[in-house]
Amino acid sequence: MSENKLLEQNASTIQKHHMGLKASRAMSNTAIYALLVAISIIWLIPFVCILLQSFRVESTWQVGYVIPQKWGFDNYINLFKTDFPRWYTNTFIAALVTSVLQTIIVLCMSYTLSRFRFKLRKPLMRLMLILGMFPGMLTMIILYRVLKDLGLTQANAVPGLILVYIASSGMGYYVSKGFFDTIPRSLDEAARVDGATRFQVLKKIILPLSKPIVIYTILTAFMGPWGDYVFAQYISFGTSSGMNVAVGLYRWLNKDQIAQCYTMFCAGGVLVAIPVTVLFMCLQKYYVEGVTGGAVKG
Amino acid sequence: MKKFLALMLAAIMAFSMVATAGAASLAGTYDITVWVAENAVDLTKAQIEKYNTTNELGITFNATVEAVSEADAGTQMITDVEAGGDLFCFAQDQFARLVQAGALAKLGVKAGETVAAANVPGAVTAVTSGDTLYAYPLTADNGYFMYYDKTVIPEEHIDSLEAIIADCEAAQKYFAYEMQTSAWYLAGMFFGTGCVSDWTTDDDGTFISVRDTFNSANGLIAAKGIEKLVKSPMHLSSSSGSEFASGAAVVVTGTWDYNTVKGILGDNMGVADLPSFEVDGQSYHIGSFSGYKLMGVKPQVDAVKAAALHQLAQYLTNEACQMERFEALAWGPSNINAQASDLVQANPALVALNAQAPYSTVQGQIHGSWWDIAKVIGDDIKLATDEAGLQAALDNYYAKIDALFQLDTSALLFVGAWNGWNNADDTDTYYLKDNTLTLEVPASDYMGGRIVNPGDWGTDKGFAQVTVGAEYIKDLGADNPDNNIVFAEAGNYTVTLNGTEISIVKN
Repeated sequence: MSENKLLEQNASTIQKHHMGLKASRAMSNTAIYALLVAISIIWLIPFVCILLQSFRVESTWQVGYVIPQKWGFDNYINLFKTDFPRWYTNTFIAALVTSVLQTIIVLCMSYTLSRFRFKLRKPLMRLMLILGMFPGMLTMIILYRVLKDLGLTQANAVPGLILVYIASSGMGYYVSKGFFDTIPRSLDEAARVDGATRFQVLKKIILPLSKPIVIYTILTAFMGPWGDYVFAQYISFGTSSGMNVAVGLYRWLNKDQIAQCYTMFCAGGVLVAIPVTVLFMCLQKYYVEGVTGGAVKG
Repeated sequence: MKKFLALMLAAIMAFSMVATAGAASLAGTYDITVWVAENAVDLTKAQIEKYNTTNELGITFNATVEAVSEADAGTQMITDVEAGGDLFCFAQDQFARLVQAGALAKLGVKAGETVAAANVPGAVTAVTSGDTLYAYPLTADNGYFMYYDKTVIPEEHIDSLEAIIADCEAAQKYFAYEMQTSAWYLAGMFFGTGCVSDWTTDDDGTFISVRDTFNSANGLIAAKGIEKLVKSPMHLSSSSGSEFASGAAVVVTGTWDYNTVKGILGDNMGVADLPSFEVDGQSYHIGSFSGYKLMGVKPQVDAVKAAALHQLAQYLTNEACQMERFEALAWGPSNINAQASDLVQANPALVALNAQAPYSTVQGQIHGSWWDIAKVIGDDIKLATDEAGLQAALDNYYAKIDALFQLDTSALLFVGAWNGWNNADDTDTYYLKDNTLTLEVPASDYMGGRIVNPGDWGTDKGFAQVTVGAEYIKDLGADNPDNNIVFAEAGNYTVTLNGTEISIVKN
């Protein structure tokens, strides 16, 4: 009897102890979640504000409140009466072409440096490392000059910009080369033995195995031109038809414009965010794998 | 004989070429780019269209009108003049830089005369460097005044800075006056106490002299006025009309914010000239800059196109076009007739601007670096804890102005009765660089002073070095151990330095 009692007692202490663990875990989880919620609120507030402002139609200037008094799509409708569609198209074309070309260049480069052994391989990699240390902004003025002489500025800014964006893309091979290095060479060799060409190896063996890195490369190549301001501002040089969204929208923020264009600016900002958000939502899974994929060498 | 014939033929040919060139008509079609402010794009297109159909010279412009803010058109132009607009509008503060960069084509004599006759004198000054006109005045509204919320500031308080600050603090509403981030707004306080910052340029737009009295007894009074404002918890360093929507009761800004403010405040909107502030029992009305917006013509390779562009610029800045701009965009005209029209006279914002006009300083040619040098005064004053701190802010300002000219060893420094004998090296108020300077000598018991190179007290240039105009100064002989130049009578003199010789001409 007493033994039983003792057992019961033991059981209850164990249970109590167990409860304590659960409670403390719940507590720490609550604290962590509270912190995360707080951080995400802080992080999301600007976006929510911009979204809300873009639907505000009672006035076009900045106001001291967030929730619109009158809701409507006027800002979006007005947006399409300006040069905005043109800027959007420009940006989209530049980003799309750049992402395709840059992805091809980067993948070829990485494959070459990962699988081929040639005399200048190491010096070339070192050279690119050093070149990459120079800030790109330094070349801005000379690039402008060159592009201007080629006739690729102002109204023809889009091809000019594409040229600038993809020109140095071969140097961004590090992450994908790292990833390719993790794929065993014996796979290549087996394919070669079966009569595959180098290109077939890349296409049929390497690329299917490195989906995350391909997607990561496409994404980063798309994001660069999509958000670029400095080069785009220089190369479009005051010509509306050659501007991208960042440059075009920024013009609405100057002293004489902001009062008429502020809400429209917010609407423009929302439209700019849409494709990037969609892209990330769809490819998020691969993106995380891609960023970390090249880091560990197998 | 053959030789003679050949010569004759050559002469005739040359003559006929000159004759055709002289009579070359401007008729033709020109592809041009025009830079105007975003809200003026449609109007400008319509005006150019109208010019195409109405001009009698047979000129047709195929114009691309681009929206480029007047605030940074100058910077854009200087970056790449070739790629810039053929006609471009810009705010006056960029004028000197544009002239220096060779980004503005000079006006012909006739065009210059027309512009000078049709526009207010200040506007003509604004487009002149040396004796040359470089641009066409577009508006005369680039100044500032006060918008206020009638429900917060009672009408009887609008003349007193202290009363307005008290009202704002009582109502917990902001007083928006861009004191810490803009020299353009800040300078008004100094002008209010009689300080000046006059810069002189030559025909090429190079700065040759400056007369700056911000660092003086009156400057200190202005600093005390600024202190009252910037140390108020309700002061907001902003000049955006939309501040009324986020808790401001007063905003100091210009005509461009009229529609915004009207839209926010409606009938509660009050417009007035700037208030006065009081220091040591004396009242000072706050001054301001009055400036202009200008239209420039880019220098062209093709002389005929240049002439046609000048015609268009003249048309776009004439009375009719300025009135159209006033009606559509409420831009205040610089044209004398347009300014006098009843419509313009009745616009509340322009009425306030006119009320401020007697206290405003016409914005002449100001060194591009001045804007950055002067704007820190506001912050320095806010940090200052006592009068010495205020003085330090002004000293700091002066040292930087001084440095702009310091490197020029041929410059001259005028220290004497004309600037209250501020005889420390760094508190002079008259500089002469290379060329000439106008010296105002007020009547006093001893109208004398020293002329030295900046930063070097030992480079004294005295009586013996005056070669022309020695009759205007007293020969003190042995009684002049300080080698001072003492004027015989008060007046306005032009002083010229030629290497080591000084010439003085009475104006």
